[in-house]
Amino acid sequence: MGSAEEDYNFVFKVVLIGESGVGKTNLLSRFTRNEFNHDSRTTIGVEFSTRTILVGDAVVKAQIWDTAGLERYRAITSAYYRGAVGALVVFDITKHQTYDVVDRWLKELYDHAEASIVVMLVGNKTDLAQAREVPMEEAKMFADNNGLLFVETSALDSTNVEEAFETILKEIFYKVQKQKQRSSQSNTVSLASENPASTAPAQAERRPCCVAL
Amino acid sequence: PAALPRAPLGFTDVNLNSRNTYEVSRRRSAPEHLPHGGTAPAEPAPPPQEPAERARQRVGIAGAGSSFAEFFTRNFFTKRTKELKPAVQSAPGWKLFGKVPPRENLPKDSKIIQQEYEARTGRMYKPPPSSARRKNIEFEPLSTTALILEDRPANLPAKSVEEALRHRQEYDEMVAEAKKREIKEAHKRKKIMRERFKQEENIASAMVIWVNEILPNWEGMRATRRVRELWWQGLPPSVRGKVWSLAVGNELNITPELYEIFLSRAKERWKSFSETSSENDTEDAGASVADREASLELIKLDISRTFPSLYIFQKGGPYHDLLHSVLGAYTCYRPDVGYVQGMSFIAAVLILNLEEADAFIAFANLLNKPCQLAFFRVDHSMMLKYFAAFEVFFEENLPKLFLHFKSYSLTPDIYLIDWIFTLYSKSLPLDLACRVWDVFCRDGEEFLFRTGLGILRLYEDILLQMDFIHIAQFLTKLPEDITSEKLFSCIAAIQMQNSNKKWAQVFASLMKDNKEGDKNHSPAPKS
Repeated sequence: MGSAEEDYNFVFKVVLIGESGVGKTNLLSRFTRNEFNHDSRTTIGVEFSTRTILVGDAVVKAQIWDTAGLERYRAITSAYYRGAVGALVVFDITKHQTYDVVDRWLKELYDHAEASIVVMLVGNKTDLAQAREVPMEEAKMFADNNGLLFVETSALDSTNVEEAFETILKEIFYKVQKQKQRSSQSNTVSLASENPASTAPAQAERRPCCVAL
Repeated sequence: PAALPRAPLGFTDVNLNSRNTYEVSRRRSAPEHLPHGGTAPAEPAPPPQEPAERARQRVGIAGAGSSFAEFFTRNFFTKRTKELKPAVQSAPGWKLFGKVPPRENLPKDSKIIQQEYEARTGRMYKPPPSSARRKNIEFEPLSTTALILEDRPANLPAKSVEEALRHRQEYDEMVAEAKKREIKEAHKRKKIMRERFKQEENIASAMVIWVNEILPNWEGMRATRRVRELWWQGLPPSVRGKVWSLAVGNELNITPELYEIFLSRAKERWKSFSETSSENDTEDAGASVADREASLELIKLDISRTFPSLYIFQKGGPYHDLLHSVLGAYTCYRPDVGYVQGMSFIAAVLILNLEEADAFIAFANLLNKPCQLAFFRVDHSMMLKYFAAFEVFFEENLPKLFLHFKSYSLTPDIYLIDWIFTLYSKSLPLDLACRVWDVFCRDGEEFLFRTGLGILRLYEDILLQMDFIHIAQFLTKLPEDITSEKLFSCIAAIQMQNSNKKWAQVFASLMKDNKEGDKNHSPAPKS
């Protein structure tokens, strides 16, 4: 409730990356619209979704960039990492190949995004447990060794989808807070992709949020 | 009398509930207009007791005095429900306003209904003797006999004169309102039907011209003004594939036999692929093999994600194998390009309009056009040139929106990648996308970018109100109700002229700048 509550409203740009067909688009539609589509269309280029959540007293708007998974597209999609403060690197637990290339996706990410970006490794499709090819411990260990958050999800049955996004948004939020404490000026948050106070539409969006809850 | 103050409440309720009963009884009062031997009863006639039972409950709930309610149901409803059964069986039920949904015996019924209506209105009140009403007789709100106009049952106190007058007035207003609405809707429906008929007529006559005049003299006529204009109107679906094929051409000289060869090669690969992948992963295999297999895997994945709503290309669907074949053959034919996402949409649209081998030939030649080749090879620097040329015309045609986008650093790649890679087949409704393809085949790559500007123009006012993320969301998921008339009039309004330079010239000068830039700054050859 201090005078600095303006800064509690953030727009966090988060990118969804990973191989084609691991379920990025459905993870996003589950999180933003609570929808799942068995036959979602191939993503070409990039698609967008947003959702606003509450972190502590702060209203955080997640602006999620859902990128095409095709390797050939990487040259063009890499531009989409610019300004991202968070990334979900998604693989399919039933396809080892999609896990094997996580390394390459990470390299791609760190080449183009800021070093401070918060990264979460997401093993999707836990509803297909009988077809699992990637042991959870293996992925977890890989995440720990590389300083990544880790979660297993199912966009189909909703398991952990909410948690995954909430966790990464919280993590970004705390990182931003820490940075802000370190720097004396409140507006030098390099992590935040946009300063919501600077644009009228963002301000208008902020008003109806139920901070009081 | 003690129950009277409460009576209106219960009475209104009962009226609404028993409307059909009432109307049916009215109809019986004009038996000469009753349909004879109607075979399809409107709805299963409810057991006679039921409405009365329900009404009794309602009256009870409404709080009417018990003695009144008993009297009321006994004397009013039993009488009415006795009449209900035979009448309902011989004629369709009524809604307060408008006709009931069409039935099998509709043509006969609607006429009878109309006669009946006329007879009734003639009896009930004198309609204004306007000729307009006569003309619009088919738009008359039918069955507008609301109880409001009637005197109360004999066992209730009569309406006062003022009340009766007021009810008459209210009733007239309701009728007028309903009539207005029905006329408006009917006009709208008629207009849509007229347009559709006209469109179908146009398509039919255009088809004759295409088949008899243009196609036999293709080379001589394709560039004539008349043909170009007809072309702009959209190709008749029956000649669409043929015209696309001719317009795209076959520079690559692919024959159906060649297609068969590449197809069988692709089939061999799928076979060996499914064998090896079941044994082991691609650890000791070369990178190119791994890539090729990944590409085969990707085709499999993407086919089910191509026009999923059509249920044509999904596994088990009629064109699943066809799409698989065309894409597989292409990766064997052009391993340097391989399979790139977006291709499945293009191949699918072609398959919908052409025979298998022709679809492949058109596909390979289409993808060999400079713009498509640049995109499908993901030649980033070339793509940037296309985006830059697009922006030249964007600024020229829609300066306000251009600045708006600039202020958010919203670059055209965000929406153009999807549009260009799939030639709008993913982002526009399929029939509309086909019309875009029609003119794309006529005008070439320039039309793809002109279409993009047409979309921006169509939604300019909305987009000017939006911020970055909303624009990005909007343009990567366009409204589904976008119509071809509106879009094409917006496209027509886009001028592909920039200070007397056409698209090709603008693009060429951008390419030249690039080369000079390379000479000056980076002599090393680009990869």
